[in-house]
Amino acid sequence: MSEDATRRQAFFESDAVDQLVTMVLELAAEQWVLRERVYTIEKAADSLGLPLSASVENYRFSDEEKAALAGMRQTLIDNLMRSVNREHRRLRPGTL
Amino acid sequence: MPLELNHELKIPLDRDSSARQDFVSQLRGFILNDMAASMRNAYEESVAPAFEREHGRAPATQDEVHDAMRGNTQFKFYSSIRYNAQEMVWRSVIPCVERALPGIEATIERLSGSSGGSLHLDPNLTIPENVADLPVHLMPGGYAPSASPAAGAVYDNGLAVFSAGFMGKNLDDIGLSMSNYVKFRHPDFKPRKILDCGATVGHNAAAWAATFPDAEVHAIDVSASAVTYGHGRAESLGLRVHFKQMDATSLDYPDESFDVVFTSMFLHELAVRDIEKFMAEAHRVLRPGGMLINMELPPNQELQPYDQFYLDWDSYYNMEPYYRTYRDQDPVALLSKAGFSSADYFQFVVPQYSYMDPSDFVAAIDAPQRIDGQTGRLSASLQWFGFGAWKRP
Repeated sequence: MSEDATRRQAFFESDAVDQLVTMVLELAAEQWVLRERVYTIEKAADSLGLPLSASVENYRFSDEEKAALAGMRQTLIDNLMRSVNREHRRLRPGTL
Repeated sequence: MPLELNHELKIPLDRDSSARQDFVSQLRGFILNDMAASMRNAYEESVAPAFEREHGRAPATQDEVHDAMRGNTQFKFYSSIRYNAQEMVWRSVIPCVERALPGIEATIERLSGSSGGSLHLDPNLTIPENVADLPVHLMPGGYAPSASPAAGAVYDNGLAVFSAGFMGKNLDDIGLSMSNYVKFRHPDFKPRKILDCGATVGHNAAAWAATFPDAEVHAIDVSASAVTYGHGRAESLGLRVHFKQMDATSLDYPDESFDVVFTSMFLHELAVRDIEKFMAEAHRVLRPGGMLINMELPPNQELQPYDQFYLDWDSYYNMEPYYRTYRDQDPVALLSKAGFSSADYFQFVVPQYSYMDPSDFVAAIDAPQRIDGQTGRLSASLQWFGFGAWKRP
């Protein structure tokens, strides 16, 4: 179920604008996913009587946690850049 | 908001996937309502007047509208965002289906036959080019990549996101609206056998089975994936539907064996030559006194140039290459060529059965009907268009 490597539709004078639209929409979607999760965490913590905000500010990541976050961050970047990266991906199949 | 599917193949969603699907669905609602209205305003207030100043007349065809709109910023943003949202529909469900696939396969296996339906696959069937070679609706991999129910699951879950809540409580509103139109408009007509062609996952065939519980309902599609998934879906709903992998242009049923042949959003997926083949087959398998009934977008001849342009957007930008060629046809001529009499032709519009009191639905189908730019459009004032013909006794 991978995406096809065929050329995507473009509507603006420059393909770059269409690619930017993709980036903005992907960013907006992930921003919403995150916003909903944070909202849920805050509400869940409230319902449990937990002082969550202060704990979040003082928390320090372990190396393992840092690596996990780096992986998640890379997925975000891959999604955000999926339109501008397509040509490159076609030239080097299997590398991305 | 996306529809929450109500059957046992439904995928349990993690919170992030759920939030992502909610976002995409709501974005589509915004595009189809707010952005579409803004684009129409841009046409009426700016694009059409400019065309008239240059040509001394209004745009007369959808091609003239389309050409005039190409340079308009509102059209560019509408199109670019809608195109992206279409991709995002599939992107929001595919990872969920991949994770859930073993469970979906096990559920289909467990439920198979529990409600009296059946599944018949034809491994020797040649998948037509319009399905095999095209990622229709920009769905990655297309509808028939393999016999795995994955593509069917992607379609069912994707349609739930895509439809933004406009297509009924189980994506069955088209089937419910069409079957109840038949039931209430023709109370003396009691179909014993019903065939849904190009049925994909059988979401509308299931509705026919619910409306006519005593009828034997068959659902065919060229996609093994779709009918396998559809079989499990219908069984989980307690509805008896017989699914077969079959090409609607070459039906493996005897002459005069059905009372109803039904399609939904199917004809526009076919080249005109295949529509003609299908309709001839429908005429052949119908019993005298039976009906062919198709739910489709209204034909272009019924619409103003701007509305033609608006509906045919999919033909140019949503991997629907036959969409416009179908909508340019005269439905009466298509049916006549297949053997139906033009005197037995009918067409109608219906409101959405799922969202209203049945008595209001009956009143609506008896009221004077009007086809306009809203007909068939996924929007807040949606109504479905249907047409067909009776086979003369």
